[in-house]
Amino acid sequence: MFHSYGFRKFKNKLFFVLCLLCVVIAVVPLLSILYEVIARGAPQINLEFLTANGLQGGIGPAIQGTLILIGLTSIMGIPLGVLSGIYLAEYGNNKYASWMRTINDILTEFPSIVVGITAYSIIVVGLIGTFSPIAGAIALSFMLVPIVARTTEESIKLVPNSVREASMALGAHRWRTIFSVVLPSAKNGMITGTLLAVARVAGETAPILLTIMGNSYFFQGMNQPMDALPLRIFLNSRQPSAELQAEAWGAALILILMVLVLNIGVRLASRGRLRR
Amino acid sequence: MKTMYTVAAAIVAIVIIIGGVFAYTALQTPAATPTPTPSTNPTQTPTSSPSASPSVSPTSSAPVTLNGAGATFPQPFLNATIVHYTTNIKPSVQINYQGVGSGQGVSSFTSKTVDFACSDAPLTATQREAAPNALHIPETIGAITVAYNLPGVSSELKLTGEIIANIYLGTITNWNDPAIAAINSGVTLPDHAITTVHRSDNSGTTNWFTKYLCLVSSAWDNDVGSGTSVQWPGGLGAAGNANVAATISQTQYSVGYIELAYALQNGVPVAAIQNAAGNFVLPSLESTTAAAQSLPSSGLPSGSESWENVVLLNTSGEQAYPIVTPTYMLLYQELNVIPGMTLDKATQLVQYVWYVVHDGQALAPALEYASLPANLVALNEETLNSITFNGQHLTTH
Repeated sequence: MFHSYGFRKFKNKLFFVLCLLCVVIAVVPLLSILYEVIARGAPQINLEFLTANGLQGGIGPAIQGTLILIGLTSIMGIPLGVLSGIYLAEYGNNKYASWMRTINDILTEFPSIVVGITAYSIIVVGLIGTFSPIAGAIALSFMLVPIVARTTEESIKLVPNSVREASMALGAHRWRTIFSVVLPSAKNGMITGTLLAVARVAGETAPILLTIMGNSYFFQGMNQPMDALPLRIFLNSRQPSAELQAEAWGAALILILMVLVLNIGVRLASRGRLRR
Repeated sequence: MKTMYTVAAAIVAIVIIIGGVFAYTALQTPAATPTPTPSTNPTQTPTSSPSASPSVSPTSSAPVTLNGAGATFPQPFLNATIVHYTTNIKPSVQINYQGVGSGQGVSSFTSKTVDFACSDAPLTATQREAAPNALHIPETIGAITVAYNLPGVSSELKLTGEIIANIYLGTITNWNDPAIAAINSGVTLPDHAITTVHRSDNSGTTNWFTKYLCLVSSAWDNDVGSGTSVQWPGGLGAAGNANVAATISQTQYSVGYIELAYALQNGVPVAAIQNAAGNFVLPSLESTTAAAQSLPSSGLPSGSESWENVVLLNTSGEQAYPIVTPTYMLLYQELNVIPGMTLDKATQLVQYVWYVVHDGQALAPALEYASLPANLVALNEETLNSITFNGQHLTTH
């Protein structure tokens, strides 16, 4: 009886419903967060809110600061991460590389507040002597490099050895093989990994709270405090004034949009190239 | 090869974006500074400062930037003073204050990464050792309210310090306890267990609230004590004033302590508390000011001494609210210890603080802060006049 056709069909349906339920459970929190942020953030958004400085009730300095931070962090972190990833994947058959891999894995799971305190005590207090966008970018690079290195290594490992051998057989040097054959094949994985890392870093609060401090004014120089969106959200959400809390909701919406645009934009671009 | 071009193009694009942002800023900064903000203009503040006329700094070089960080509590007030000061009085100055919390404010002050800091708690002996020659400047005064959530009770609740201590100790567990009922005749108290809410993070608010409980209850003093975080006998924890306020609004039959501004902004009902004179007083600007006015001017320390023992709790005024705390600005007595400090910057800093404790106080009541009483203002004048840069006294006003 348990092997009857009807029962098997029922089992199939039951399992389907359970799967569907799991999806709904997983998606509900995400949707409710999105709904809450849009419902509370959207009424805040207008041109003045996006361009005015902090004292005039805008988040212009925060948007500008986040863009500068993403730029500085990418310039510092992505080349280092990609090069480490290439080293680990292509020359990583010795004990130094395995140590490096272990350290890299530990760094990936490092609590971000520890990174912030380290950057604060070494760079802010020790080297620069003041809060600085550079200190913030270095702290964020600490978080970016291990993720980029790991995803680069994994993507490169997926490239079949026969492709490398073919390139070498045609007389290419090892570096030429890596740059012209291996990297283009691993490109998609690398881009995705790097973007995820940048998006994650763009939303980090703890490392920048202790390194760039926040600023009501637009960028004032490399040796002055700077603002950033996650920091603005964190600081304003703790204020008694309902106005400042509403600004935090607006800033949250902008941050989510920025990360989303970053993700979708480059994913579309890389998919287009893949087809060709 | 195409990938190489793409990567190169991506890097160039990033560089261009950043370059553009920098260029935009460079063009923006000089233009943006003198732009007056139309909003938040106070109602005719008495301009005793002669430099209020537009003849300010004819050869204004790069604008002077002052950076401060610290307590969240005074930020709305400080922001209002900054807007007014940089718009109407000194357009050549930019002042950046960030409410990162008292703790981080003090550590930034100690490591001299900011020009001034704000803290709800005065520096402890250890902190004073780490930051020699630090000056305390009381800038405004706040009250800590006991807020509650009692569905069905619309009339105002009265509490004494001892009852609050016993509620937090767990010896009073129900809202209709005889001790509460005795002083709230005419109020139908529900037969429900009390949920207490307290701060889970290190907090200046907790410090003053527990100090008050120690003053009024020997049991609390013996069993729990006071500090920025204590071993709570029970109840719910929440991080930050805003979250405590939210927890109280969401939890029926709960009680907790929050700064007055947060209670007013969130519309949470607050209890009238019995003061030293025996009156039940609701927290308000007037009752907070009354508490500050009853400070004995003779007994106050000077700005360079320890303020740890200055307590505004349970002061003797008839209408004084019992849980009142000053909040401090911290400055160095000799400003050349801060890297990058110049005579011009030091003068601007002292003049701004002078403005905050004088004309700036006129902005306080509209924002639900109590103005400084005259005795504290006089003390602050003395403190500010003692500040030097390279041994040279500064023009304070």
